This record gives sequence, C-alpha cells and structure tokens, in this order.
Amino acid sequence: MIKEAETLRKESFYRKYIRPIITHKVFSLVIILLALVVLFSIWSAAQGKQFFKASTLRNILNSIVLTSFLTIGAGMLLIAGDMDLSQAAVGAFGGIVLAASIVYWKLPWFVGIIICLLLCGVLGAINAIMVTRYRFPSFIATLAMMSMAKGLMYIFSTIGKGSDVASNIAVNNPYLNFIGKGTIGPVPFGIIVMLVFFLVYGILLTKTKIGLKIMLMGGNKAAANLAGINSKKILFALFVNASVLAGVAGIFSTGRLGQGSLLALQTNQFSGLTAAILGGISFGGGSGGMGGAFVGLLILNTFQIGMGVVGVNPYWVNVFSGVILLIALATDFISRRRLRSV
Amino acid sequence: MTKSLEFRGIGKSFPGVRALDNVSFRAEGGKVLALLGENGAGKSTLLKIMSGDLKADEGEVLLNGKKVEFPGPREAIEAGISVIYQERQLIPSMSVMENIFAGALPKTKLGLFDKRRLYNEATEIIRKFGLDIDPLEPVGQLNIAHQQMVEIMKAYRRNSDIIAFDEPTAPLTEKEIKILFELILKLKEEGKVVIYVSHRLAEIFQVTDEIVVLKDGKFVKTLKTSETTEAELIKAMVGRDIGDTYANLKRNDNIGDVVLEVDKLSNLVLKDVSFKLRRGEILGFAGLVGAGRTEVARAIFGVDPITSGEIRLEGKPVSFKNPGEAIRAGIALAPEDRKYEGLVMFRSIKDNVVMPVIDTLNKGIFVDKNELTKLANKAVEKYSIKTPTIDKKTSELSGGNQQKVILGRWTNEKMVTKVLILDEPTKGIDVGAKAEIYQTVCDLARQGIAVIYISSELTEVINLADNIVVMRRGRVTGIVPREEATEEKVLALAMRD
Repeated sequence: MIKEAETLRKESFYRKYIRPIITHKVFSLVIILLALVVLFSIWSAAQGKQFFKASTLRNILNSIVLTSFLTIGAGMLLIAGDMDLSQAAVGAFGGIVLAASIVYWKLPWFVGIIICLLLCGVLGAINAIMVTRYRFPSFIATLAMMSMAKGLMYIFSTIGKGSDVASNIAVNNPYLNFIGKGTIGPVPFGIIVMLVFFLVYGILLTKTKIGLKIMLMGGNKAAANLAGINSKKILFALFVNASVLAGVAGIFSTGRLGQGSLLALQTNQFSGLTAAILGGISFGGGSGGMGGAFVGLLILNTFQIGMGVVGVNPYWVNVFSGVILLIALATDFISRRRLRSV
Repeated sequence: MTKSLEFRGIGKSFPGVRALDNVSFRAEGGKVLALLGENGAGKSTLLKIMSGDLKADEGEVLLNGKKVEFPGPREAIEAGISVIYQERQLIPSMSVMENIFAGALPKTKLGLFDKRRLYNEATEIIRKFGLDIDPLEPVGQLNIAHQQMVEIMKAYRRNSDIIAFDEPTAPLTEKEIKILFELILKLKEEGKVVIYVSHRLAEIFQVTDEIVVLKDGKFVKTLKTSETTEAELIKAMVGRDIGDTYANLKRNDNIGDVVLEVDKLSNLVLKDVSFKLRRGEILGFAGLVGAGRTEVARAIFGVDPITSGEIRLEGKPVSFKNPGEAIRAGIALAPEDRKYEGLVMFRSIKDNVVMPVIDTLNKGIFVDKNELTKLANKAVEKYSIKTPTIDKKTSELSGGNQQKVILGRWTNEKMVTKVLILDEPTKGIDVGAKAEIYQTVCDLARQGIAVIYISSELTEVINLADNIVVMRRGRVTGIVPREEATEEKVLALAMRD
C-alpha cells in the first residue's frame, strides 16, 4: 500500500515535471544543439583548436541578433498561417532612413529611430492591406514589397544628399554606436535587447488572449472566423509587427556597421525564415513558439560558426544551410501529415 | 451484343455509416436509367465505385457481362466508364480541343503533338453534337453549360460505353437543359448505357426509361418510367420505419415570443426568404443539397453579404458585418463541416470551447488558465463528452464528441446565446450519438434557446422540429408545422418545380 503510494508519487513527479520537458519540441532542439556543440568541439580538438570558449558563445549570440528580429516577426506570421518575404528589404530601408535622418536631415538620433520605425510600419501596413483587403497571396504581395522597399531605400539614400547617386551613408553617432557595439557589463547591448524581445513575444504568444487567438487562427482560419475571432485585424497587426521588427534589425545593422548600408541584412531573410521553421514553427500555421525559434537560430549559427572554426570552405556552409532548411521543412510536412491522418 | 453494366450485392461502409448495403441492379445499353434517392441514399457512393474512386467492400460489378475491378479512376476510364460529376474535371486554362482529347493527344510521326489533326478531330466531334463552340477557346472562358458539353464530348471521344451524369442540370438554364437532353438521347440512340442521377422528378420523367430507387444505402425497386407516377416515386424514396428514438424525446412545449425575424432576405443565392423564430422553438430547415439552407445561416451570421431584406433580433433590425458581431448579439452557428469550419482540430478541447469568448475572460490581456479550465470542464460535464482530459486534441475525439465540443462552445456560461443555428449537426455521426444530440437540442430549447436545425435527413427534421421551413433553389417553398408534416409533403415541397 505504502509502496504503491510511493510509486504513484514518483510517477506523478515524472508526469508533472519530467515528461512535459522531454516531450516538448524545444527539448529535442536543445539536444540537436548540444550534439552540434559536441561535434564541433571534437572536430576542432582533432585539429588542435578549441571550439567552445566564452568568446564563441558570445560570438554566436552576437551573430544572431540581427536575424532574431526578423525571425520573431516571421515566426509570429507563420504561426498565424502567413508569411512575409519583404522583411530584410524593409529592414535595410529602415537602416538607411535612420542614417539619412541623422546625417542628411540633421535630426536627433531618437527622432531618426522613430521615423525609421514609423516608415517601416507603413510598409508593413501596405503588406497587410494587400493581403487582408485585396486578398493577394502573401507570397506575391510581400515579394512585390521586397522590390518596392529596395527601390525606396535607394531613393531615401539620396534625399537631402545633393546628389542622385545612391550610396552607403556613414554615420558616427555615440548613441547609435552604443546600440550597435556597446556592452552592459560583459554582455553586448544587442544580445540583451534580443533576449528581452524573445521573452516578451514568448509571453505574448503563450499567456495572452491575442496569443491564443493567433494560435487558433493559425490552426484553422475558417473555424476561427466563424467563432468570432477577427483574423483580418490580427493579421494586419502581425504584418505591421513584422515590418517594425525589421526596422529594429535595420537600426542595429546601422549601429554595428557605423553606416546605413545599401547591402544591409541581405543574407538574413533566408536565415530568419529557416530558423523559425527549424524551431518547429510550421508552414501550415498553428504551432510552434518563440523558444523553438530562439534555439533554431542558435542551431543555425552554431552550425555556421562551427564550420568556420573547423575550416570548411565557407561556400559549403551555404549549401549545408539549404540542406538544413530542407530537412526542417521535410519534418514539418511529415509531422503535419501524421497529424492529419489522425 | 448490347452493352450493360450490372451491380451485384454491392456493399460499402464508412466509419459509423453503412453507405451501401447489398445493392443489385442492371443498366442496359440503349436505355437511360435514373438513379433516385434522398440525400445520403448512396447514389454518390455508387457512382464513385463505378468510376474507380472508391472500392466496394462487398459485391461485384459486371461490365458487358464480365466481372471488372478498378484499382483507380484511370482503369475505369480505360474500361469505358465515364462519370460526369457536378464539379467539372476540366483544365480551365487549356483549350476545348485539348480538354476533349486530354490523355490521348494525337501525335505526328516525330512524336510531337499534332495540332492540326487535333483541331480537325475536335471540330468533327463538336459538329456531330451540333454545338457552336470554338475548339481553340480556353475552357475556363466557356459558360458552365458549355463546359459540361465539353465534358460530355470528352466522354464520347473516349468511346465510353457507360456514361453517368451526377445532377447534370443543377447549374443549367432551361434552354441549356434542352440541349443536354438532346445529347443524352443521341448517346442512347448509339446504344450506350446512360445513368442519370437527379433529384428533379420532372426531368426524370422527361428523359429516362427506367428508375432505380435507393434508400438508406439499400436498393428499393426498379420502376419503368412510363408506368409510374410522381407520388409512387416519392413514396418509394421515403417509406421507412421510424424507431422509438423520437417518441422518447423530452421536448419543450413552452414556446415563447418571436426572437428572430427574417424578412424578404435576398442575396446572390437567396430570394425573399422570410420566417419567424420563437424562444424555445426548434425550427427545422429541409431541402435538397444546394437549396440555400446553409446560405440562410451564413447570411444571418454575418458571413455572406445581404443585398436586400431585413433581419430583426428581438424586434431590432440588425446587420452583422462579421461573425464576431453576430456572436456578441447572441447568435451562434455550428457549421456543417466540423473538420474545416467548426473545430481547430489540432488544438485542445479547452481552446475550442473558449474560442468565441476569449475577450470576455478575466485578467485583462492575459488568459486566465483557471477560468479556461473551469469553462471547459463544465462543457465536458454538461454534455458528457468522453475524454480523459480537456487538453486532448479535438482531432482525437469521435464525431459525436466533436459535435458536443461545439455545442459546449456555444452554450458556455460566458455566452449569451439566444439563437443557435445547427447545420447538419448529425452528419457522419453514428446512430447512438445521434439520439444523444437530439435530446441535447431539445434540452437547449427547453432552456429557452431558439434553435434553427438544418438537416438533409427528412425523418430527423420532421420528428425534431416544431415547424419546418422547406427551401428550394434559394426560396422558401413552404413552412409546415410538425402536426401536418409528413415526409411526402416536405419532399414534394422540396422537389416540385
């Protein structure tokens, strides 16, 4: 009798604390991440190098800051069942707007940031209107926006310049320098902002009413609409959100580079989406979360940096990143098919 | 030798439903055979077995006296069977001639496709049918009637011996129907087996030679069209035993004031739909598929736009721009398609129950998990939903329990449901669970909720509803009180032109 109660308590401890962790999708992602770290540690040790140092950790975290803002925006949209391909272009546009407003328009740095985020938000609203009101497929609407935002970026880089030739805008502002390169204690400012954003969006998604609605409409938009969830309104907000977050990425990019660059964020669109999907956010919507997206980003960049440390030709890294995306997509489709057959 | 198609002892089951049970009959070349039955009688299932889309569990199909078995639609087509469904199976962007010859484009000696020969042969067929269609025109640009003609020509080109039509006249105008009938007679003269599925009795008398009546998946009888009457047909379709299920229901006999009044409601599908719904009343909606019953529900609920007419809720005119507004005013809709419109299948019972009331929960912008659990537990208890936990995904529940989750959603204590619209609530649900749902609906009526009950099962509507609105082609053709309702009467209103 006592023994029974004992096993019952053990079991309930297991059910309550252990099982939720190991059955959680993020858990398997963390395992993959650790496996990658072990792999690269052994590989580099075999070459007489050391992979895992405090600086490596910081490098990896630092390298995901820009992408993370795109991943959060893309992830929120994907969970709701939609996507945005224009984020990186919008972010680069925002970075140029910020540099131009400080250098050419002689505005204070914080006004520049506000203008940058506002204009990015407007572009996001245009995406949203195209998709929710005029029912363009978001793939096409945001592809068009990608081109428009690029064009606007070139145009804005010449406003107030006195020349029609677009170019990078060098900016040397102490506040922007801090945003880009400053540290609080030993930790770079960017990493702190990123972690706060992941936390806030994670809470938004799992603990709030709007988060529940996003998950439900991503799971079945028709049913959500018929149950009174205004999916158009939510989608509108999420498109604006994705673009404003892209603007944040643009601000960090300008701060880090010390210039509004016409080539900013070029490679981040792809890795932003890849990380979200890698982290268990499904293309079909309705599943995944911010924890997964964060670990997804870590996996992707650990992989890329690790390959660099062990000296693999960097061109191969791109090939392997593509392969990782394919694997992530394949597992997504397989698990969704399995769900459907239930 | 005359062509023929024979079914022997065909049986087919789906989870919870016996769709066909020991169906045997024979269709002969040079005759048009009608397949007649209510919704759910098994006509579509039979067509799908014929076309190789489904496999029969029991029995055999004999084509020209020889036993055949089709692994898929392709084999059925090759054997000479063409089924022309209501949904076109054409490629809209391709030309008429390419569609007619789809899968068998003529080739030149070099193996390239021979456009000239294709054009000539297509023109030949079009002329044979006496139609005015340009072989080069993309099919998507033709009107629906002509698209259907293309489909018939495709079947003709395949040299099919057996051609079946599923409700072919539904989208057609009078004039187009005439052309279709001429084509059918032509096919008949050529000695082909023509099978014609339709609800429209007038047409059946016009174009068919024999009638096979199905009911609840069973073969009832074969009749010669020239020797039967409309009344006899309806009786053959309907006459069935009604069990004790309905006799034992605890009904509501306390019907109150008018809650919802619909006055000359019109839109793309609906024409001047008017009716009144009272507190505690179950108002049945009967009619054939496509009669516009679902559209009435959608118009009231703010899903589809209204072009004219008025809806009054407790005397006040209302017009909802989206379902959210309708829900807040006290109207709820359980849609016909539970899987795609009702539930978010991969989310928990809990989440599905609270969907419409998320905004009214406590704790500001945050979700109060305890309150959520309480609401969901109450729903599980109230409707005795069989599940170990409220965290179970709704996709893992049976059809009956899924429907109860939806009922739980619309009657949770945060809702102010005055009008509950149920669209085919017992579709795909087994018999035992159906009886439970009936009692639940009666209980809700006893609590004062006004219920609109849309169903294609006549027995169900007649025995459950206090009054029955019968619709046909977007119009209300009659409102029948339960005391006067017989299946013959309702069916006649639903079918007569």
